[in-house]
Amino acid sequence: MVYAVGVDIGSAFAKAAIISSQLVAYHIIPSGGNYKLTADEAIKEALKKASLSLKDIAYVAATGYGASNVSFANEIIIEISCQARGVSYFFPSVRTAIDIGGQFTRVFKLDDRGKATAFMLSEKCAAGSGRFLQVIARVLQIDFAEIGPLSLKSRERVDFSTGCAVFAESEAISRIAEGASKEDILAGIHRAMAAKTLNLIERVGMEPDCALIGGGARDIGLVKSIEEILKLNLLVPEEPQIVAALGAALIAREKTYSTD
Amino acid sequence: MKEYFAGVDIGSTMTKVVIINETILASVVGPTGPEHRKLANRVMEEALNKLSLPFSDITYIVATGYGRVNVPFADKQITEISCHARGVANLIPTARTVIDIGGQDCKGIKLSNGKAVDFAMNDKCAAGTGRFLEVIAEALGVELEEMAELSLKAKKAAEISNTCTVFAELEVVSKLAEGVPLEELVAGLHEAIATRIYGMVSRLKIEKDVVVTGGGAKNIGLVKAMEAKIGYPVLKPEDPLLTGALGAALLGKDMVKQAIEKGVPVARSERQLREATFFS
Repeated sequence: MVYAVGVDIGSAFAKAAIISSQLVAYHIIPSGGNYKLTADEAIKEALKKASLSLKDIAYVAATGYGASNVSFANEIIIEISCQARGVSYFFPSVRTAIDIGGQFTRVFKLDDRGKATAFMLSEKCAAGSGRFLQVIARVLQIDFAEIGPLSLKSRERVDFSTGCAVFAESEAISRIAEGASKEDILAGIHRAMAAKTLNLIERVGMEPDCALIGGGARDIGLVKSIEEILKLNLLVPEEPQIVAALGAALIAREKTYSTD
Repeated sequence: MKEYFAGVDIGSTMTKVVIINETILASVVGPTGPEHRKLANRVMEEALNKLSLPFSDITYIVATGYGRVNVPFADKQITEISCHARGVANLIPTARTVIDIGGQDCKGIKLSNGKAVDFAMNDKCAAGTGRFLEVIAEALGVELEEMAELSLKAKKAAEISNTCTVFAELEVVSKLAEGVPLEELVAGLHEAIATRIYGMVSRLKIEKDVVVTGGGAKNIGLVKAMEAKIGYPVLKPEDPLLTGALGAALLGKDMVKQAIEKGVPVARSERQLREATFFS
């Protein structure tokens, strides 16, 4: 069996995926301050889950913000190629994908072979990234994982007058003081993020099916909010954070064919 | 009988009141208040007390600033662009460009014959406003007032690669942990704000004299960073927080004068100090 590994070192999380003919194992850990150690750790843990060792791996491709820190990578591949490939693996019918990551939102179009054809990246703005959710979770003193389920219970969404995470944080504090519920505040934050995403999508052009990936896709409230604003259903992979790592692994595995 | 005119400028952070007749008679600056922002009446009251003036003696009151719509005792609301222009032109007649750095916004105004002819504004993003420094000062454990002085001590400015306040905060904290000296970081932050503001204001053609107003003008580190971008010294009013309120009072005076000349009555609100309500 030929195994390939894809490692995606994002600003918030590091992901490693191992594939043969299909996904074998993966591991996700916070990126922390030392990407080199984090990359080693992510791969080690993924290998452990697959009961493999590094010498069983034919090819390693690295991608993401900290890709250059993956010391044993055979190659670095740009994120967008890996994401498109990964999305296509999960959902061959997808033509537009939205990635909400720790620092950016990215929208891209892809063809039926899993190649990206156009893309648009947000400014590096916390309100256009998963960071916004972390900021608000801290204000509301809840865990990231609680955000989605809580927001779905919202009855009267608090609309925010700002698209800036810093201003929204103060606004949220004022609204809490006035008695607004956590649920309604979260729903408002999701709406603000969805509006920013829509803006980006409109610039790239929307073609169904549409997938949502990245850490932001783990927040069911955000998924619903974007669905509402786009007026369509989004396809969300079971594990939306590993799409780029998996795509890198798929591309890596192809490299092993050419050296066979 | 002497006539009095008042300007009330409700900013996101500070509320300012100026009372004038021929000159500025009294001015008060007080916090807008973090939650309910009901302090306009208190600041007004304090200004009246300074002059031992009954409220009914004020001929005309103009409100400006982001909270201007909710001042129940104001006779008229005028945008801060017009008010800043009028106030700055009165204090510094040679001014052609005004850069107002507020607590939560920042604007550039072009002046011609004492009037605003063009402007650019950022009130959407904390970067390039006082809020940026406030957030980062807190993360660094430094008082906001100390930031200017700290930045002047730096031999060089550390490079801050993030524009977004949230990411800049993370960057600064991690750079501090890496051993970058605090004053170099603070100098870098001033540089970052100046870059952001300059980028926005230079959409207007910056012309001499440039006047810097707002809370940002009180930060000597930021003013120096702005001067480095612009390429020549900038001017600032004696009290850079008051130009909006002063302009509001002056515009009120202008309007009453014009109404009298035309022989039309001046509509006035009830002279009663009530709390301003924001979220009703």
